[in-house]
Amino acid sequence: MKIMIDQQVLEVNPGVTILEAARQHGIHIPTLCYHEAFGGQGMCRMCMVEVKTSHSRKVVAACTYPVQSGIEVQTSTPEIEKGRRTIVALLYRNAPDSGFMQKLYTDYDCPENGLAVNNGERCILCRLCVRACEEIGSSAISAVLRGTEKRIGTPFDEASAVCIGCAACANICPTEAIAVEQTDQDRTIWNRTFTMVQCRSCGRSFATREQLDYISQKTGLAGLDLEVCDLCRKKKLAAKIEQFAR
Amino acid sequence: MMPQIIEADKKMVLVCCGTGCLANGSMEVYQELQQQLANSNVNVSTYTKATGCNGWCEKGPLVKIIPDDITYCQVAAKDVAEVIAKTIGKGELINRLLYRDPKTKQRVKSHHQIDFYKKQHKVALRNIGEIDPASIEDYISRDGYQALNKVLHTMGPGQVVEEVIRSGLRGRGGGGFPTGQKWKACTDVEASVRYIICNGDEGDPGAFMDRSIMEGDPHTVIEGMIIGAYAVEATAGFIYVRDEYSLAVKNLGIAIQDARQKGFLGENILGSRLSFDIEIVRGGGAFVCGEETALMASIEGNVGEPRDKYVYPTEKGLWGQPTVINNVETWANLPVIINDGAEAWASIGTEGSKGTKVFSLVGKVINTGLVEVPMGTTLREIIYEIGGGILNKRKLKAVQTGGPSGGCIPAEMLDMPVDFDSLTAAGSMMGSGGLIVMDDRTCMVEIARYYVNFLAGESCGKCTPCREGLKAMLEILSNFCQGKGSDADLQFLMDTSETMQMMSLCALGRTAANPVLSTLRYFKDEYLAHIHEQHCPAGVCRDLTEFYIDPEPCTGCGLCAQHCPVEAISGEKKEAHVIDQAICIRCGECRNQCKFDAVMIR
Repeated sequence: MKIMIDQQVLEVNPGVTILEAARQHGIHIPTLCYHEAFGGQGMCRMCMVEVKTSHSRKVVAACTYPVQSGIEVQTSTPEIEKGRRTIVALLYRNAPDSGFMQKLYTDYDCPENGLAVNNGERCILCRLCVRACEEIGSSAISAVLRGTEKRIGTPFDEASAVCIGCAACANICPTEAIAVEQTDQDRTIWNRTFTMVQCRSCGRSFATREQLDYISQKTGLAGLDLEVCDLCRKKKLAAKIEQFAR
Repeated sequence: MMPQIIEADKKMVLVCCGTGCLANGSMEVYQELQQQLANSNVNVSTYTKATGCNGWCEKGPLVKIIPDDITYCQVAAKDVAEVIAKTIGKGELINRLLYRDPKTKQRVKSHHQIDFYKKQHKVALRNIGEIDPASIEDYISRDGYQALNKVLHTMGPGQVVEEVIRSGLRGRGGGGFPTGQKWKACTDVEASVRYIICNGDEGDPGAFMDRSIMEGDPHTVIEGMIIGAYAVEATAGFIYVRDEYSLAVKNLGIAIQDARQKGFLGENILGSRLSFDIEIVRGGGAFVCGEETALMASIEGNVGEPRDKYVYPTEKGLWGQPTVINNVETWANLPVIINDGAEAWASIGTEGSKGTKVFSLVGKVINTGLVEVPMGTTLREIIYEIGGGILNKRKLKAVQTGGPSGGCIPAEMLDMPVDFDSLTAAGSMMGSGGLIVMDDRTCMVEIARYYVNFLAGESCGKCTPCREGLKAMLEILSNFCQGKGSDADLQFLMDTSETMQMMSLCALGRTAANPVLSTLRYFKDEYLAHIHEQHCPAGVCRDLTEFYIDPEPCTGCGLCAQHCPVEAISGEKKEAHVIDQAICIRCGECRNQCKFDAVMIR
């Protein structure tokens, strides 16, 4: 079907969202809670765009709005830019320590306000960590409490029995808000300490014991085969390819 | 089976057992009546009935005696013996228990002669206070389940949808979406399973419309839902009711059981092809679960958070199936629409808002309670004629409508007709029907702060504008109430409000700025006084208020000193009193008590 984004006529597949259609055609719409691995969550509201259909004009979240034939989309209007600026200003209060948010705050030229800033905080509640944990299959963390009290945590903030210490949550976090303490021997995350496993090839600490057990259980591969780190695995594969190419 | 039409030599005593009256001891009155009547030698055959809420909670517990049409107010268990001996036995009135009209100073025999009831038009509340909610026979005796019988045996599902469309019924839960169109959209989707939901998650502070209907007339809700199920060919229904409404949960449970037994629910209802049953889902009391997508998430067992509604619930609702969700009051209107016909039902109301609306009238008004009036009735009629005016002869300042995310309408707009479109145009909304009356001793900045504080706790916290916006608004408004704040803060408050309106995920967030925007629209001077002069004109914000006694009007009666909780007021009898500012906690009680308006603020 055909739709129009910022005066460009685009051919898109039915079923995709406005955001996906725009990205496929290289049109930028800002997002905070979207990740290409999961799709839209409709939470951060940075991706709000104006949509004109045959009978209405409205502001919608590009990451959840399914395309319809003939719609005309404006990814930026003065009102939308003002709204995005307010969202950044509001989020910055909770994450002034994050370089990511500091940059956004400057980029959006946020207005001065007399509001208190929560020094030391970084989380913007985009919930990418929660989605990542869900996708891995653990669901050890979630958004807890309600309203302005909402935050990310394990149930009752206790060490989670289902957490495998993979730190996917910390890796996906755009604001580096999830604390991970790591040595060669162990890793502490979400109030639980995990034993690190060393790569059988290079000796580097690369994963937790629970993580490897979990992968073994899911894939049926033997534990020993998994005790090689991703870099060494790549090297091994590269060597094989090289051999084959000769 | 209980007699509905009373024979000449028999009497019926109706004791209001709505939540308000129960709290004032109506259950004891009811039990005392039953006990004493059983043992009494009064030779009048009398039947006692515990009914749902009569709406006039201000004067409860209410006891009505028919066919004499006598209404007794504020009855206590100790009055029961006298009621039986005098009124039931000899037909004498007990003056002391009759309502005294404050205007004429006359005692009034029946509630039917009181302005509070005379101006009302009961449709959704038609049975409440008249029937025993736990008795299906009582409901049936007042044309109950007639409408269901009519649709099942004389109308096709499409005809029912058409009838509802023709009635012009709009959703009573807040949005005001045309009910018939919603049903039609649901039937337009191909599906083998469809659901019906009744939204009974009433959560606005000071609102109890839906609770009264579920408690006082549960069968009308059930009948409405079965009619809806027939129209959209649904197989299962859910009533989502907050668990705090224990009496509603209980009465609905009894009603569903009884309806099953009579064949109104279950397989092949009344011999037709319709098979449909209803389950009660008890909510945990989250305000946001009144939002339909959050409510459905909650029924599914997920966290009660809304989702974007670009695909409507009528297409993909509960468990991804087409779903019709309507509010309690909407369902309660349906049997009447079917029985009387769409035209008759739509003959009252305004062009765009047909029928009646139930309001819970609370705040600084003489007659607080539950009222049902035709759409388009003016605020003045509701407040001054039904409500009896403002308490303590004070001046009306504003009316807050639509619940926490509604807005404040100033006294100058009192002649505005109350309907969906007028309220929205005034920057407020119908919401589910809360009406909170505020007098001239209300600080509008503090009111905005109060509602924002409520919403900050009840927002689900999923989307940024609502969660962070409310947090910021609460901080700014709290600062204003302490005289801290600047024009830049005011600007940021407005920017945040606009962003929330435009960008929030659900209706809660999109309307959450209404308390701020509407008070800013009509009472901006008050905001500016707080910011620029560190002054609260209403004398409410403690940090900005100082009370003093003007010696001129002060008669030295000492009433203020008597009521001062911290003994900050001193003075000789019949001489002007003085407030010690060092002790005063600025509660304003002296000002409320003073009969001579001698307590001033600066």
